[in-house]
Amino acid sequence: MRKKFLALIVTGGLGFAVGCSSGGATPSGVPGGGSTTSNILSIAVDGGPFASQPGGIYPNGAFASVTICHPGSTTNCVTVDNLLVDTGSVGLRVLQSEVSSLGLPTVNASNGSAAYNCVSFVDGSFLWGPVQSATLTMAGEVASSVPIQVISSSTANIPTSCSNGGVNENTQTSLGANGILGVGLEPFDCGVACDTSSGSATPPSTSPAYYTCSSSGCTPAFASCGSECDDSSSVEQVTNPVVGFPLDNNGVIVELPSISGSAATLTGSLVFGIGTETNNQFSTSASVFTVACDFFNTTYPVGGQAFDIDPSSCTGPGSFIDSGSNAYFFYNVNNALAVCPSTSSAAAFYCPTSLTSLSATVEDPNTQFSETVNFSIDNAQTLFSSGDAAYSTLGGPVPAGDGFDWGLPFFYGRNVYVAIDGQAQPSGLANAPWWAF
Amino acid sequence: MKLFFRRYRALSSWLLVGALSCPALAALGGDVTSVEADQAHMKASLDVKQAEGYAVHALRAPGGTVVSEYVSPAGRVFAVAWHGPFFPEMQQILGSYFQQYSAALQARKRVYGHHPLNLEQSGLVVQTGGHMRAYIGRAYIPEMLPAGLKAEEIK
Repeated sequence: MRKKFLALIVTGGLGFAVGCSSGGATPSGVPGGGSTTSNILSIAVDGGPFASQPGGIYPNGAFASVTICHPGSTTNCVTVDNLLVDTGSVGLRVLQSEVSSLGLPTVNASNGSAAYNCVSFVDGSFLWGPVQSATLTMAGEVASSVPIQVISSSTANIPTSCSNGGVNENTQTSLGANGILGVGLEPFDCGVACDTSSGSATPPSTSPAYYTCSSSGCTPAFASCGSECDDSSSVEQVTNPVVGFPLDNNGVIVELPSISGSAATLTGSLVFGIGTETNNQFSTSASVFTVACDFFNTTYPVGGQAFDIDPSSCTGPGSFIDSGSNAYFFYNVNNALAVCPSTSSAAAFYCPTSLTSLSATVEDPNTQFSETVNFSIDNAQTLFSSGDAAYSTLGGPVPAGDGFDWGLPFFYGRNVYVAIDGQAQPSGLANAPWWAF
Repeated sequence: MKLFFRRYRALSSWLLVGALSCPALAALGGDVTSVEADQAHMKASLDVKQAEGYAVHALRAPGGTVVSEYVSPAGRVFAVAWHGPFFPEMQQILGSYFQQYSAALQARKRVYGHHPLNLEQSGLVVQTGGHMRAYIGRAYIPEMLPAGLKAEEIK
């Protein structure tokens, strides 16, 4: 394991061992405008851990490896592969089986007892497990003592408000990955809503994010998000590892090549920092889309359907860019697109009889700046039968009232910037959070 | 800077004002007068709006999740919708339909990945969407929808 860890740094270093100029950018924490740190983590859309098994391909899943160490140690480490790169969530969540040898220290909730974390996915699946502290190395970047979620192997003592009737994805087989690397727009998993500084007398009570447990069961708890939330306690919430880097900590750029139709596998880069190194300067061809409550707007011309967030009230079916979603997910206006048979494993996707070309307009809800995005949807059952792992034309329906989810196919052929809330951005660019592409 | 954070601050202060009333609320298929404990269980505030042919009881829980229960003139809950940063407690809001919902989830055939859900079962429809920490959804009993109320209007 130690060997692997060193190899990662060395290989990364060879690719990026030159000094960097700032290019006019002035994010904080970048004295001298550059470093010799390798800031590029390779990612692969390769079908995940079961790609070689029948029906085992994780479609449009982008995976990366992270070296996880006991805090303060450079030898008590494991390198975990097959972590899903997810711009739609925040923080590292890793299967207990992958890190059990490290003996990671627990992180306490605001009441002083060990914190447990719960996240639900849109389909009711969930992840449950303790919050623990780990030092994370990605390429040459090191985030020290970051709270992560360790997904419990045991199913004992899971509160029903967390399981909520859904599928427990606490194994590689059920998750299709060894964990999730959340590098979204926020520094923390939950923010003020889960902090005592929310002003609420009680923590979130329905399907909460944080719990503490005793022999009589687990109950909702507050967990601190530290000084950024005006909380004098140290950070207890599961944290975006990027903000823990000494440099290159203001965001990420997801870079994946374009494909026509589908591809057996794809490789790309998760680049750390925006405008902090020579290799992550903001492209003059990219456009910034600031967000309201972490959403922007999308207008889909069929039926004049708008997926817009109201910036004043944070209501409305806002739209988002999410590498952890494996398709374009949008409302099936007028039922114009056929949906795959409900009994098939492709039930969540569209199955048009032929390739269907579409377009939508994305808009900054604050500036009203907009751009048109063209995309196509193909028959998911046909795509899946190809045995490929990457599909640029995979789409699926969402319920009425839901937003437009620009999933991983949107990333193919684009460099997508994710600027993290509260982190300083290059001069001339808007305050984060925002996306750009 | 902290739009995300500011939003929850705003919701929370609203809560302090509105968290005192304790009217009754019921789970899907239940009687509006039968489950006195639900709103207290959610530690939620309540807002009731009357529409033609039904009433909407909107519960706002700490953390910002809103659960809207649609109640017929006969006092039966025929639909539930939710939105917010946390899932509602499905056992609480689905009541006797919870086992059917859970069994359908466990039995679902799917490829890897997390997708919006459209569960169309005999006597029960459940639809969910959004993303982590920003969920929406609805559950309803198709046979009990009043004339003129479309499923997509349940929100």
